[in-house]
Amino acid sequence: MSEQTKSGSLLLVGVNHTTAPLEVRERLAIPVARLADATRSLAGQPGIREALILSTCNRVELLTVTESPDSTDGAEAATALSFLENFLNIPTAAVTPHLYTLREHEAIRHLFRVASSLDSMVVGEPQILGQVKESWNIAREVGAISSTLDPLLQRAFAVAKRVRTETQIGSSSVSIASVAAELARKIFGSLASKTILLVGAGKMSDLAARHLIQQGATTLLVSNRTEARAEKIADALRTPTITTGVIPFAQLHEQTHRADIIITSTGAGQIFSLDNSRALVHRRKNRPVFFIDIAVPRDVNPAVNKLEGCFVYDIDDLQQVAQDNRTLRSREAETAESIVQIEADRYGERLAQAPATEAIKQLQSSAEATREAELARTAQRLANLNAPLTPEQQTAIEHLTRSLTNKLLHPQIMALRGTDPKRRGEDD
Amino acid sequence: MTLLWLRVAVLLYGIAALAVLPAALYNRPRWRHLAMPAALGAVFFHFVALAEMLNAAHHALPVDTHETLSMLGLLLGAAFLVLAVRYRTVSFGIFLLPVAALLTVVPAFRPGAELLDYPLLHTGWLFLHVALLLAAYAALLISLIASVLYLVQERRLKQKRATPARTWLPPLETTDQIALKSLLFGLPCMTAGLLIGSVVALETIGPRFFADPKVLLSLAMWLVYIAMIFIRRHSGLRGRRAIYLSGFVFLIVLAVWAANQLSVVHRFRAP
Repeated sequence: MSEQTKSGSLLLVGVNHTTAPLEVRERLAIPVARLADATRSLAGQPGIREALILSTCNRVELLTVTESPDSTDGAEAATALSFLENFLNIPTAAVTPHLYTLREHEAIRHLFRVASSLDSMVVGEPQILGQVKESWNIAREVGAISSTLDPLLQRAFAVAKRVRTETQIGSSSVSIASVAAELARKIFGSLASKTILLVGAGKMSDLAARHLIQQGATTLLVSNRTEARAEKIADALRTPTITTGVIPFAQLHEQTHRADIIITSTGAGQIFSLDNSRALVHRRKNRPVFFIDIAVPRDVNPAVNKLEGCFVYDIDDLQQVAQDNRTLRSREAETAESIVQIEADRYGERLAQAPATEAIKQLQSSAEATREAELARTAQRLANLNAPLTPEQQTAIEHLTRSLTNKLLHPQIMALRGTDPKRRGEDD
Repeated sequence: MTLLWLRVAVLLYGIAALAVLPAALYNRPRWRHLAMPAALGAVFFHFVALAEMLNAAHHALPVDTHETLSMLGLLLGAAFLVLAVRYRTVSFGIFLLPVAALLTVVPAFRPGAELLDYPLLHTGWLFLHVALLLAAYAALLISLIASVLYLVQERRLKQKRATPARTWLPPLETTDQIALKSLLFGLPCMTAGLLIGSVVALETIGPRFFADPKVLLSLAMWLVYIAMIFIRRHSGLRGRRAIYLSGFVFLIVLAVWAANQLSVVHRFRAP
């Protein structure tokens, strides 16, 4: 399928995580603060009528509507390259091997896939839609998009919403930290007013704790063999809304019952045995407790998971859940791809029919004007002959002329509707 | 007209019971938009039908088994709406809505023909007695369902299987709260219902009422109910053992219900 916009050609030029290494992407990345200038500058390039720039850590894409519908890919890509060279001071030779160029229907489909997070490094991640919306807002503010890109972007948002609603592409977590947070929500519902206990210090446990705090946990306790280190972590994570505290390592088991979620990463053997976990459950009056054991060797005896009210997930369990969720997402992605394909085809068809609709409107209005002029002339002639038409005769003639006009126009309208706009353009 | 409203209610319960399945089990949130209004409509028409029927036939008192079951159905339908609004979960509808529909379908299509003119029926006390006990039974049923959902979710989490974030099972803490709060709601209902019934019986039948097996079973049910709440609150009983306990109390409730057939004094006849 090939369709062009009313008076221009849709073109998408860019690089993403599959075509360009990080070194190239980081050189091309345009910070949000400079995005408005960059968009304005791109829209001001010769031959470009509308422009939008999407710049994230995984992609930099220039979406444009060019003024000349019959220009070649090479010329349009050269314009984009020259913009990048001038704006970012990057030699074209460094970018060209990684660049992809998509036109018309392919560009529409690609945009729909990007907005729906099907082209993301982590398929289904939700941030990309917000980033596309941000680019769209900036492009609107600087007046870089209008009759072609504006409706296209709005359609892309609607498609993304449809994908989210009709598939479960973003419904499961795929990173270790988010899997842990999701599991905590399945146990506790809201994490507001929940207490996290961090046993040991490690990057992964720190990340998991931050993720849980983001989800609403309000109290953080830290216990470490080195108390100074525990205090340092507690200070780092303390905010006006987060209460933190330090539990001396020697008193760990006396204080553990205060925590709902225990993230442990000491690797010092089984700190949480079956016996002290049983005592913990008893002190908590069977209220659930969630162990996130990311230590190797494990800090929590795996048999603790069998105790009522205890949920133990070690690093392998979390990774397995994340992997299963990734598989689930890829299955959902297949459904999402077909939705995007249908939507892109539909939008392409609408775009392709736009010039024909315009031509049909012009043809009909011209025929109607001729008909009315001829009717008026005939009425005048009859009036001059003192033989004016009765109202019934006027209605009959009105009906006759309208019917004739419609029948005469019908084959032409059908031909216009069935004509490929590109071929029609060439014929013209 | 009463039967028409009741049949509309049955239809709407049926629609809601079906719509809640994709909404809860298949993560299709759009179906919630059908399930909730249908359930709301069902409860409304059910209330209108029951109020009209009881007022016209029995002076606002459910007399026969069908009417009593229908009233229990209404309470379950209303409980579903309360849970859906308060806890944002329609999962309870999987169980409550079909039960409400089943309890309503018989009176809607085979209505009872008992017409009593017993002076006691003119008082509101008996109605209160029946309504409060039915509310306690409904609360117990909800608590039992919540305990089952808790167990299923607990097993899933212990098996460490990947499930979508938007699963039909509410979080453990939510189901636990529902189970406990419904029991706590049911206790005053049951206590007040039994007290009212006892006072009315004492005045009309006399002390021999308290030697009736139905009445003795009711007293046992009340004691077990209190014991269950005490155990749950005191030891934080959850999971499998909570189901066993709720199931045991539920069996006693069924026995109390069935004892109506054996009772010689717990009848709507003049003594």
